[in-house]
Amino acid sequence: MKYTLGVDVGGTFTDLFVLSDAGQVFVHKTPSTPANPACAIVDGAKELCKKFDIAPSDVTRFCHGTTVATNALIQRRGGKVCMITTRGFKDVIEIARQVRPKYYDLYEDYPAPLVKRQDRFEITERVGFDGGVVKQIDRNELARIVDSIELGGYDACAICLLFSYNNPEHERIIAEEVRKRLPNLRLSVSSEVQPEFREYERFSTTVLNGYLLSVMTEYMKTLEQEVAENFGNTQLGVNQSSGGLMSVSRAQLFPIRTALSGPAAGVVGAIEIARQAGRKKVITLDMGGTSADVALIRDYGFDISLDRAIEGFPVRLPSIDIDSVGAGGGSVAWLDLDGLMKVGPESAGSYPGPACYKRGGTNPTVSDANLLLGRLSNRGLLNGTMPLDVSLSQTAIKPLSEKLGLEETRTAQGILSIVVANMVRAVRGISVERGLDPREYTLLAFGGAGPLHASAVAHALDMKEILVPPSPGILCAQGLVVSDLIERFVRTIRLPLDDDKAGEKLFEALAELRADAERWLQTEDLLPDVQRSSDVVVDMRYRGQNFELSVPLTGVQRKGVTEELRNAFFGAHERNYGFHNPKDPVEIVNLRLTESVKLYNAKAMQVSKTTVEKPVPEETRAVYYDQEAPLRAPVYDRAKFQPGMTFTGPAIVEQLDATTVVFPGDQVVIQENGSMLITVN
Amino acid sequence: MTNSTLDPITLELIHNGLKSITYESYVALKKSAYSTNIKERHDHSVTIADPKGRIVVQAEGSFPTHLGSMAATMEIFLQTIPREEIHDGDIFISNDPHTTGGSHLPDVNLMMPVFHEGELICFICNLAHHADIGGMSPGSMDGSMTEIFQEGLRIPLIKLFDRGQLNQPLMDLILLNVRVPEERRGDYFAQVAACKLGCRRMAEHLAAYPRDLTLTAFDEIVERTHRRMKTAIASVPDGTYSFEDVMDDDGVGTKDIPISLKIAVSGDEMVLDFTGTSAQVAGNINCPRNATIGAVAYVLKALLDPNIANNHGTQSAFTVVTEGGSLVDARFPAAVASRNHTCQRLCDMVIGALAPALPDRVVAAANGSNTSIAIAGVDPRTGKPYIYFETLGGGFGARASKDGSDAVQVHMTNTSNSPIEALELEYPLLVEEYSLRENSGGAGRYRGGLGLRRVIRPLGHTASFNVVGERFVHAPWGLFEGQSGAPGFFSILCDEKGEIALPGKVPTRPLAPHQSISVQTPGAGGYGNPARRAPEARAEDLESGKFSPPAVA
Repeated sequence: MKYTLGVDVGGTFTDLFVLSDAGQVFVHKTPSTPANPACAIVDGAKELCKKFDIAPSDVTRFCHGTTVATNALIQRRGGKVCMITTRGFKDVIEIARQVRPKYYDLYEDYPAPLVKRQDRFEITERVGFDGGVVKQIDRNELARIVDSIELGGYDACAICLLFSYNNPEHERIIAEEVRKRLPNLRLSVSSEVQPEFREYERFSTTVLNGYLLSVMTEYMKTLEQEVAENFGNTQLGVNQSSGGLMSVSRAQLFPIRTALSGPAAGVVGAIEIARQAGRKKVITLDMGGTSADVALIRDYGFDISLDRAIEGFPVRLPSIDIDSVGAGGGSVAWLDLDGLMKVGPESAGSYPGPACYKRGGTNPTVSDANLLLGRLSNRGLLNGTMPLDVSLSQTAIKPLSEKLGLEETRTAQGILSIVVANMVRAVRGISVERGLDPREYTLLAFGGAGPLHASAVAHALDMKEILVPPSPGILCAQGLVVSDLIERFVRTIRLPLDDDKAGEKLFEALAELRADAERWLQTEDLLPDVQRSSDVVVDMRYRGQNFELSVPLTGVQRKGVTEELRNAFFGAHERNYGFHNPKDPVEIVNLRLTESVKLYNAKAMQVSKTTVEKPVPEETRAVYYDQEAPLRAPVYDRAKFQPGMTFTGPAIVEQLDATTVVFPGDQVVIQENGSMLITVN
Repeated sequence: MTNSTLDPITLELIHNGLKSITYESYVALKKSAYSTNIKERHDHSVTIADPKGRIVVQAEGSFPTHLGSMAATMEIFLQTIPREEIHDGDIFISNDPHTTGGSHLPDVNLMMPVFHEGELICFICNLAHHADIGGMSPGSMDGSMTEIFQEGLRIPLIKLFDRGQLNQPLMDLILLNVRVPEERRGDYFAQVAACKLGCRRMAEHLAAYPRDLTLTAFDEIVERTHRRMKTAIASVPDGTYSFEDVMDDDGVGTKDIPISLKIAVSGDEMVLDFTGTSAQVAGNINCPRNATIGAVAYVLKALLDPNIANNHGTQSAFTVVTEGGSLVDARFPAAVASRNHTCQRLCDMVIGALAPALPDRVVAAANGSNTSIAIAGVDPRTGKPYIYFETLGGGFGARASKDGSDAVQVHMTNTSNSPIEALELEYPLLVEEYSLRENSGGAGRYRGGLGLRRVIRPLGHTASFNVVGERFVHAPWGLFEGQSGAPGFFSILCDEKGEIALPGKVPTRPLAPHQSISVQTPGAGGYGNPARRAPEARAEDLESGKFSPPAVA
């Protein structure tokens, strides 16, 4: 028997999910080891193998989601970076977009660049807008720059030249020279990191990548070595922000691609759950301690976003289009100066955490409100290993309710209604505001706190169905196991759609991208019979606009392709902005190719027998829903559910890593894979 | 309506809902527009006004001046348009600063009423700066214009849509009077679509929150913001504060134009009196009164309570006194296109006046300019005419606890730059340098921010250009013994003959392919005695190359 292992490293826990070739599932959770995350990964995997009697050498694939890069950025623990850039432009990385982060705040600034001004070297050279060389590289100057870099004791060098997305030759020459003279210096080259126009965003992404190179390489080396020692010749894959795996060697070249990967695996896991339930239209709600992430799934696929930021620095790279709001279990409720109640974005985190955690927290949080209302059990999380103290929640909420002149329970209901409204706003942002109707979608709730609030969110948006996966707290690790190997390619080709040769030029550029993809595949050491697929989108806009809309290129015929694209663009414009101008000139800006290789083949999960029995509640307790008075709600242990069981809310479902609140009248059916499908009344 | 039905929780939920309506509409307008001023510079705004004409919500990110203009427009709207002439599906349009509450002609205001069961509930309004509104110069912003008629088409308050029906003759009239009408049509329809989007969302909102609750919420939101602003004003020590400053010139010959400000604070009352300010000038740096109020509202919010909401309650908390026909209360037929230069100065002045009262919250004078460059010509690659327009940031004033930021947009404006790779793709221009302007920040315990330097050359053709700056003569001042930042500087660099210095406002003149235009924006003032600057900070100034002896910060 062969096994695939998914390991997701979180701030508190490292989650492991194993899937056998026969479709058996095994899960395990172990405390994270932030100083060296590889410890918890390897030890956790060994524990899991022992617990379920799996021979380590039978684990043939090891899929890993890492926060090493993200944490290095947050804690500013990256390497010392220098930069080589076009003469006259060393300040581009510092000037950024010449804006302040907040219009009205005289004291808030964006963070200083990660490469100091004295570490930026200007080289005489220039490439023009069309890729033509305006000025040759001054080789003597280059030699002198490399001398200075040698003396500077840098870990990495970012090479960032103007228009390199259109002609990377100068960046290549410089990289070659630096590599020749300083073979130990790690390089981050802008035309390799993301060959796309708009220099500041490309340079920023390249510098961030350079900053992370040494941290990631060291980590990957340790991990690779320890995995090899304990699991033999297993294949290691690293999760990317864009929701697919990459090889270890690529992760070492492009660590920045992991920086926003945290929530990405959850979305991939959600797609698998959606597929098992046969739901093609799903909105995910992943709610943890500090934030809630929402994403929209159509036909088992997600949208890609390109403009993200991390720690105040823009990252121009594909990532799953996930919107995040500061709404989590630890989000703090407070009164603003005008007396209105707000919840978040400040969070009590895990330490000290909500007041009820008994770790010294005194601020009223979302979890305190849930506990006070009976939605969470005072036996607490993790099957009673961490009891909660409702009297501390009461003490924390009391001052708030006194200022508001409301009952404590009403105040707690208010905290929840505001945090739900914040999540509803995020869901609207990815659906209604893009011309999509959330009522046609199933809400898929996961993360520790997702199932606790999903019903309220669904009711507010008039959504008809909620799906709660078997292990809501471990869905990211599951997503890693089912992820594809993915590489994305881009070419900026600014091209009017009414150009006589637009179709031809488009397909020429596409052929180049496909050649790049072939070259990549050859370096990836794959079996010859792998299942491949590719996907092409075109970024388009009206000539004169600044923001592009992506439309899929489905046709393979050159003839008629421009007409097809034009219509697709009009449709996208209508959906996004509510109108389109049929006569205005349209232009193509970028062409994007995504190449995927299937590493996992969906098999039927092992299904237990279905039953017609009703579940038996463990107890009943008073739970406050939206009404003034509490209802008596039965409390179920999810571990005892069998496929086919049904019941109707009000009800509370408790399990190891999550609590699900079922609203009065909502109906629950346990699915074959163990998911709960809740039909909203 | 009693408080029990509109508690602070419900009110927060409604307020949040209204904010998201304006923001969605704001983003849709930004992303679908053609005008650089909208899509890139975000010189647009979306507001909800109540049936009494009060602004209840302004979208996050909106241009601050617009709050004053939309408030003034709504006031005139309700005075002049009888209720029975307002119908479902109407959209009203206006832009005139002298008769309809506009702030300058390129800013076009749209107002769409929202009805619920036949009753007028509110207006969804937006305001956007169009790339051209006609008049004597391309872009309608030329610094040499001297009366409103030269500045473009004046639109009175009239219906662009009547009960859902486009007033086509009016649209034709407008488009016939502006340059690049195809693109402008796109911008008008982006504005119309944003109005309609807001109305649809408002209808959905009214389905969730009944009419009574929503109307009560309007009152509550404005009232609570007003009280909050009053509390903020009360935090300023009582007293009379004053400040004098001088504008460089009006671009057509008047130099050293004085502005005078006295601020009287007593409890939660604040009166800002501009009496004594210069009479309106021939050039177009005059401010309509509503733009003056918009500037004051911005700067008081920034100084006293940056997180306060932007609505009628903010503006009703203070009093502005101006003399009709002065630089800060311009009357017909004054030219007003470049009023933002003056608005920037008003911000510096309010801060300067309050510095003794609020030493920990103020900042030294910022670059105080809205330095702009326009280059026009015929693209030799396509044979088509082009206009490149951009405004550049500069130094931000040093603060009580840290240096001023380098190279940012300040106060009234917060607009992006054009990426070089986008600019050169679009226009036959070569950017030769884009850098921080070394030594331009004023010395101090905390130093002022550095200005920018941008050098641009036309490729293969002779172009024409014009540039407009302020604080190119009168340097941005420091505070509490901090020194002044460097004034701005325009020049032409010639391949053979060196550098030709230019004044701070240059009307259109040619630029040959062997020449480059160099724009150096002003730095900003320092804060505190330079002798008290931390040694590490001083070392970093030198090592980074931002400063060199003898101009060490």
